[in-house]
Amino acid sequence: MAVIPILGLFALSLRGPARLSAGLSILMEPDGTGVWRDLFAEFEKNHPDIRVRLVEGPPATNTREDMYSTSFLSGAAGYDIVYCDVIWVPKFAAAGWLLDLTSRLSPADRQDLLPVDLRAGSYRGRLYQVPAFTDAGVLYYRKDLVPRPPETFDELERMAREFKTSERWGFLWQGKQYEGLVTVYLEVLWGFGGEWIDSETGKVFLDRPEALHALEFLKRTIGSISPPAVTTYIEEDTRNLFQNGRAVFLRNWPYVWTLMKETPLGAEGRVGMAPVVHAPGRESAATLGGWGFAISRFTRDPEAAWQLVNFLTGPEQLRKVQLRMGRVPSRKSLVPPEFVPVLEAARMRPPIPEYAQASDILQRWLSAALTESATPLRALNEAARETRLLLGEARQ
Amino acid sequence: MKRKSAALWFLPALVLLSIVVLYPVIRTLALSFFHDSLATGFRAEFAGLANFRRLVFDSRFHSSLLTTTFFTVVSVAVEFLFGLLLALSVDALHGWRSLVRTIFLVPWTLPTAIIAVLWSWIFNDQYGVLNAVLMRMGLVESPVTWLAAPSTAMFAIIAADVWKSFPFVFIILLAGLQNIPQDLYEAIQIDGGGRWASFRYVTWPHLLPFVFVALIFRLVQAFAVFDLVWVMTGGGPGGATETVSIYTYQTYMRYLDLGYGSAMAVTPVAILALLGIALYRLVQMKYEELF
Repeated sequence: MAVIPILGLFALSLRGPARLSAGLSILMEPDGTGVWRDLFAEFEKNHPDIRVRLVEGPPATNTREDMYSTSFLSGAAGYDIVYCDVIWVPKFAAAGWLLDLTSRLSPADRQDLLPVDLRAGSYRGRLYQVPAFTDAGVLYYRKDLVPRPPETFDELERMAREFKTSERWGFLWQGKQYEGLVTVYLEVLWGFGGEWIDSETGKVFLDRPEALHALEFLKRTIGSISPPAVTTYIEEDTRNLFQNGRAVFLRNWPYVWTLMKETPLGAEGRVGMAPVVHAPGRESAATLGGWGFAISRFTRDPEAAWQLVNFLTGPEQLRKVQLRMGRVPSRKSLVPPEFVPVLEAARMRPPIPEYAQASDILQRWLSAALTESATPLRALNEAARETRLLLGEARQ
Repeated sequence: MKRKSAALWFLPALVLLSIVVLYPVIRTLALSFFHDSLATGFRAEFAGLANFRRLVFDSRFHSSLLTTTFFTVVSVAVEFLFGLLLALSVDALHGWRSLVRTIFLVPWTLPTAIIAVLWSWIFNDQYGVLNAVLMRMGLVESPVTWLAAPSTAMFAIIAADVWKSFPFVFIILLAGLQNIPQDLYEAIQIDGGGRWASFRYVTWPHLLPFVFVALIFRLVQAFAVFDLVWVMTGGGPGGATETVSIYTYQTYMRYLDLGYGSAMAVTPVAILALLGIALYRLVQMKYEELF
């Protein structure tokens, strides 16, 4: 007998909720400042027939990524709008879960949005995510100590050694086993002229000498110019140390610049910002990050969904978020001038659908080498082998 | 007539079980022989044994298998020891038995995810009660970051699991102890046997079937551990507490490799089945030998 109510529920769920008016739902980070709620209220006022339902998910981005995947795998219209990290775009697009927005974007927007962000929001030449905010690795330095920012790895090491004291470390970076470690390593790798994966051919370059130089550089900093606990740090740990005057150099993201202005160190103009360092004869390359909005293929109302995406990525709206959250908008007209050189040198992580897995392999082996459970040479050889297996296996 | 109505009463359970257990099991088993992932556009392509071959060479799978085995063996062994000692002492009690039994059963009734949150707070380096106690006793000088180092994180997870699960072993063994006819103890006393002899020749052989049940249940549950690890460490630090079920979840939900993920789900089941059969045989042999 117990089956009957359960089957009844089952049938009800198949039918889905009645369609009264267009309702759009979106999963985001906790809306701490309330800026998103304000924007949705404004949108609802302009579009009385559309209701927006904000689901505040956990702050951990990979958990939200999994929540989106679960909803997509079930094929139901769980979320209409995807608040999307650039590294999810290839995966979700390759799975066929996002609507192609190429023809919807207006020429004016295409002109104003940063080209590198538009590329990151695309997969195989089609646009799936409209960029909203951009991110790129930056080197912060103590202007009052260092006469000019370093340009090469050697300069950075030398200056860090020179200005570090018993109270102050030389160089802070993110060394915990997570995505942040990959972004840091990639900047060093690119700075040495190396490569990780060629997204076109699926070739893996982790067992080349440049990759080894890069890993050895990071490993050498631990205990010498970087604190031993750097292998457990994420962005906020390093920001707090730096802003309390406990380091000469800090590798972090643009949000630190906004927050730094409110600290004594920043207010007194003792902090400067520069592109990340590189090897002599090579170029500085920052890892590109960023967020934007995409539309689920399972949405019942693509028109209304596009209205909302178009609204949220508009200049006025992005400006509001910029003022309240310190994020850097993906629009040329809104990027603060000091970030322009950094963003021009920003590079994408390989846009492959298997990104999450490839990144996990790299994280695991980098962390193993940095915490001395494998030699850098062995770690990179193993990472290269496993990545080849992954890409070869997946692409047959 | 009676048979027919019995079958009818059985029908709802059968239908329900087919929907929620049988169908997923068969589908997972079938899927493990297919390539079905992002790369195939979620179309199932027959793969034969390719997924299982990949498992054999997957170092991350090996290390998660080792981690799971270590966790299972250590926590089940400790749970068994605690459970047995407690059951023996409660069995010797004359009053209060049901009160004591109820109190010890509480951890077993709590949801695992909640227990995991509770223990993460106990092991928290800044605010945790464990560090506070250790520091006040002067055993450590600065807070220990329990969940941030590979060996201590594993210890923390095992401690939480023991706390939750030893009552289960205890209650099963207690039931076994209460089933043993008292005249057997009297008989062995008449024969001049001491305490050890009565445990060795009366208690243990009669308890053995219950030991088997408790161990099988705990081994299977411990091997499939997910929620405790997921909430306490997420498999970190550095993948040191990543169990097979966590890696399976990552493969299926995050890497969207449904075929490989299914193979990863099926393999431990096969291992456990073999382990179960072996254990059963062992008990059976022992049992015959004892009587």
